This record gives sequence, structure tokens and C-alpha cells, in this order.
Amino acid sequence: MLQEESDLSLIIAQIVQKLKGSNLYAQLERQAWASLQRPEIKLESLKEDIKEFFKISGWEKKLQNAVYSELSVFPLPSHPAAPPEHLKEPLVYMRKAQGSWEKRILKSLNSMCTELSIPLARKRPVGEQKELLNKWNEMGTDEPDLSLFRPVYAPKDFLEVLINLRNPNYENGDSLSFRTHLGLIQVPLKVKDIPELKEFFVELGLTTGQLGIDDSTQVPPELFENEHVRIGQKVLAEQDSAAAQQYIRQGSPTALRAELWALILNISSQPEDILYYEQLKTNVIQHDLLVDSLIYKDVKLTASNDDYYFVFEDYLYQVLLCFSRDPSVLGHFAYNSASPPKSYIRGKLGLEEYAVFYPPNGVIPFHGFSMYVAPLCFLYHEPSKLYQIFREMYVRFFFRLHSISSHPSGIVSLCLLFETLLQTYLPQLFYHLREIGAQPLRISFKWMVRAFSGYLATDQLLLLWDRILGYNSLEILAVLAAAVFAFRAVNLMEVTSLAAAEAVLADLSTLKVMPLLQIFLFATVT
Amino acid sequence: MSRVSVPCHVKGTVALQVGDVRTSQGRPGVLVIDVTFPSVAPFELQEIMFKNYYTAFLSIRVRQHTSTHTPAKWVTCLRDYCLMPDPHSEEGAQEYVSLFKHQSPSMTFPKWLSHPVSCEQPAPLIEGLPDPSRVSSEVQQMWALTEMIRASHTSTRIGRFDVDGCYDLNLLSYT
Repeated sequence: MLQEESDLSLIIAQIVQKLKGSNLYAQLERQAWASLQRPEIKLESLKEDIKEFFKISGWEKKLQNAVYSELSVFPLPSHPAAPPEHLKEPLVYMRKAQGSWEKRILKSLNSMCTELSIPLARKRPVGEQKELLNKWNEMGTDEPDLSLFRPVYAPKDFLEVLINLRNPNYENGDSLSFRTHLGLIQVPLKVKDIPELKEFFVELGLTTGQLGIDDSTQVPPELFENEHVRIGQKVLAEQDSAAAQQYIRQGSPTALRAELWALILNISSQPEDILYYEQLKTNVIQHDLLVDSLIYKDVKLTASNDDYYFVFEDYLYQVLLCFSRDPSVLGHFAYNSASPPKSYIRGKLGLEEYAVFYPPNGVIPFHGFSMYVAPLCFLYHEPSKLYQIFREMYVRFFFRLHSISSHPSGIVSLCLLFETLLQTYLPQLFYHLREIGAQPLRISFKWMVRAFSGYLATDQLLLLWDRILGYNSLEILAVLAAAVFAFRAVNLMEVTSLAAAEAVLADLSTLKVMPLLQIFLFATVT
Repeated sequence: MSRVSVPCHVKGTVALQVGDVRTSQGRPGVLVIDVTFPSVAPFELQEIMFKNYYTAFLSIRVRQHTSTHTPAKWVTCLRDYCLMPDPHSEEGAQEYVSLFKHQSPSMTFPKWLSHPVSCEQPAPLIEGLPDPSRVSSEVQQMWALTEMIRASHTSTRIGRFDVDGCYDLNLLSYT
């Protein structure tokens, strides 16, 4: 058996195994049994007839979508000898750095616990449970005393860790030389250059229609918009995930966006899903977690203060509190360099049968975390659907923005991509900003960590997130960050301090992302 | 198809340098690793497996005894096989690699070692998807591998995060 064939068989075997545990498998099995009643299914050609039936009834398409989803999310199986940690993160020094960072977070959370004398988890008394159940749809009206709580970390703390990342095998020299990186990130990850980005983002080119550019009021809709909407409706009718992902590279019409994203993320609200969400809600009612206070604080500090998102405050609690209690999120740690924090039932320290993860989903929220959910509230109003979409977005994309890894869509690569693009194509600006002590990454980091949520106008943000889904990559965040600097380059060249540079880039709410991206990638003379 | 790992002795790396003088600047870019096989019985080598650590290109040379009368000859099996597409970046730097017999021109074992390879032939590309019935029988063969992968995945608990209804915790533990 040749290596390539055995690789393919291995991938197929792995996907089959994964799907065997899913609802879809159970449904397909039921459908297959039920189809035996149908006249066109003959015993002599049972296998072929059932396959044909699946094709006609649309079940084959559902299976295709599920396979496509697995391929998009799970990394290709690595070498059989590679241990699980290699799949999480292949570079040893990155794994170590992530481990140290996690330890710091755990220490911080533990000291918050002991200082405030608040337990990590507490079973609510029945009275309190009833009260919370009544208040479920208006948790925002609650004004708990959160003054003693502080966020476990903020993006700038995380940036300091990334700046100090070093590859022990990389000969850099202590003094500044032509080999040291001019930016803040000092690890030699492979990032795309503009020719490679042009190829990768070919659908954003000047000759291809885009929503966000070619649907502006000056452009007659017959030229692009009408046809694009028509194609979008067709894609939705076909229920094809791969086609939807390809289509959305040119942007999604507002009316179709919610359905398109659900199709791409392979989310369909089955009764089981709604039931599962209700189960999570019950978990929230029954147990109070320290992490809940962090979530409350984060929502109050960020989303509630935002002009666009404050109306969704209640939704945010309903999603994030349930998210913390969802053990199915633990599955993504197989390909995330991070690991879920562990604890033991009180009095059973060290006994493995009493070991649990904390919080149940293994994700400790940081300052700004709720901004990952907020934009989705514009698209989905049914809490369980909103929840599913957010969870899938998190385990596909957002987790990469706050864990240390060498993945091309990981935050370290995005930072390096941003700095490299800026240095290569705007060297004068980069040099100037460095000289005045305003390293560009210090300003753009917070944009990328939040995937620009809270910085762009919502319609622009959704157009940006369309492309994240379409290209199954977060690299566009780094490209946009560089494009923003390019756009404001003239003003930035005149500033003489970090504070002044921050001021020039403080307000991104008037920016139109698609023209910026298109100009930076395809229309800048290099 | 039962495969066994062959006991081998891997010696430490030796740097190839020009001349005798060891210069403090300029690190040698070529290192040699000697691998010897203490067991004398002849075997058919199928696969060489190792974990890379920042080696960009790999060449493998084998010394083979053809008969007791002729002296042993060194032959090159693999020349400049690329492990890192860009040696200055991290791609492939710490990957697990397997080299198979067929990556040299496909010949039987003795011939494989007796002909010096001047250029590496690319492994034949598969056209399209493999035949489904063949794949499903191969899936059985791959089962052992997937079982290994499954065992190493984080076990996801469906809906339950507590232990017998209790979630009263100590502090978080640092492992």
C-alpha cells in the first residue's frame, strides 16, 4: 500500500469513527431501516438501492456536509508514532510556553478564590435556583457586587508572553543584527507573503464582485448584487456546505447570512440540540461557578458599554453561562495547544476517579471574551441556535486567538504575519513607529485577539467574519490590521508618541473593510 | 503484514568540517549520524521512522556486504530528501517522518541497496479517489491505528461534569 493511499484510508477511517458517534449516524441508520418499506428498494440490490435513496432524499448531502465539516475542523492525522500532544502542537517550546502561561492563569484564579473566600463551584440552594430560573431572561438587570473580581488576564498580558517566546534552536544573537526580527515576535514561523495571499484570497480580487464593495448604493444591483443573491438562495436550497463556503468568500447577503453560516458550520437545530441546551441551562441553575462572576464582569465591562451590543446583554449571559458548563467543548482540546484546567472533588485530592475539569468546558474567559458572542446576536435570536453557532465558531476559530501555537491561524502566526506585511510593504511607516516607541503590534494586537469585534461597525464585522468562514482561516485578521495601518499611514507618519499613534487608530468604526483589504492586497504598488 | 522494529545502535552526531581547525564562528551545516545493526541476521528494511529536530535535508547511505570476498560498499539510498521546505522557518522542524522502501525506485531489496541513486523519483501520484470496496477492506487494517488515536483523545463526557451529583471542588491543580 503506497503512503498516500494509506494516508487517505487513515483519514477516512478516522472520519468514519468520529461520525459513528453522532446523531447523524443514528438518523441514517433509522432512515436506512425505514427505507426497506419502500417499493424501489429490492433485496438483490439492497446496497445500491439504499445508496440511491439517500442520494435522492438529501441524506447523502447531509453526510457530505458532515464529512466536510470534519475535514475543515480536524487536522489531518499525523504520523502514527506521533503522541497526542504532537497533534495539539508539534513544537515542543510552544507547548512548554502554553503550559507556563496556563499555570499562571490557574495561580491567578486560585489566589482570587482564596483571597475572596469564594469556592470555585457551589451548589445553589433551592430558593436561589427558583429565583434564577425566574430571572433567566433578564439576568442583565442583576447588579451583583463585582468590584472585588478582576479579569484573569487581559490581551496585553498575553501579548507580553508572546513577545518573550523564543525558539531554543534559533541562533539570534544578543545584539540587533540583520537576523533579529524588527517586530515584537521573535519566532521564525512561516507566514504568507503578498503574492501567496493574493493566491489564497483570489476571490477578493479586483475583478470579482464583492459584497461590501459592489453592493454600494452607487452600483446598480443588476451588475452583481441581484445575481449574487440569487446564487445564494440556490446554495441554500441545495444545502451544500462546501458550496456555501465557496460562495461566502464574496460576502453574504444580510437576509441569507444566518442560514448560510449555519450551513457552513453544519448546524441544524434538532430536538436533541434544544434538549441539550436546556440541560446546560439546568446545570447553570443548579451550580454557581466562580467563572460566572468573571463572565458577568466581562459582559458589564465590554458588551454592555458598546452602543451596538448592549441590547443583547441578556443573551450573552444565556450563552456564556451555558458554554462554561458544556463538557462537549472538551473535545476541541485534542487539536488545541491548550489543556483544560483540572481539579478534584473536595477531600479527594489526587484520586483520579474524583478528578474533574474546571470549568466543565475547560475554557477560562478573559477580558473581552463576551465580544466573540455579541455580533452573533444580530443573526440568531433563538438561544439554543445562538448557542450552537457560538460554540462551533469557538471550537473552529476563536480558541486559536488566545492559545500559543504554531498553527497558521494561531495568534502567534497572525502577529508575525501582520508585522511582516507591515515591514515589507510599509517599511518607512514601520521604522518610524518603532523609532517613536510605538511598535505597531502593540496597537493591533487587541483588534486581532477579538477578531475586530467591538472595533468595527457591525455590518463591516459581519462581512469580515463571512470571509473567515469562507476561507476557513483567521489570516484575514492580520491582513486587515496591516491594511488599516496602510490606510492611516499619512497620519501615523506625523505622530511622535505611542499615545498619539493609538489616538489615530482609536476609532475604526467608520472603516469599510472590503475596500481596505482589496486595495492592500491587489492594488498597492509593491 | 507483520512488521518488527529492528534493534539498532544510534551513535552520536559528528559534524563534517573542512580541515582540522575548529572555528568558533561558523557552525557546520552537515552532521552525520551512524546507525549500526548489532544483529547479524539479514532483514528486509521496510521503513525508517524518526522525529526530526531542525534538519532540513536528509541523505541516507548504506554500507552493504555483497559477499565475503568483495569489500563492503557504501551506496546512497536517499539524497537531499527535503524535511523542511523553508529551513529558516518552523515548517517540518519537529515532525515525525517515515521513509519507506518504495521512495527509492521500486526494486526488490537487494537491488535497492546496490544501485546508487542519483536523483529521487517522486512516488507515483494516485489518480482520483481509491476504489471504495478496497478502501473499506483497508479500513480494517487501519483499525489498529484508529484505536490508538481514539484512546489518546480526551474523553468527552456527554452532559455530565460532576461526580455523582457533586461538584464541590478544591482549588485548581497544577500538573
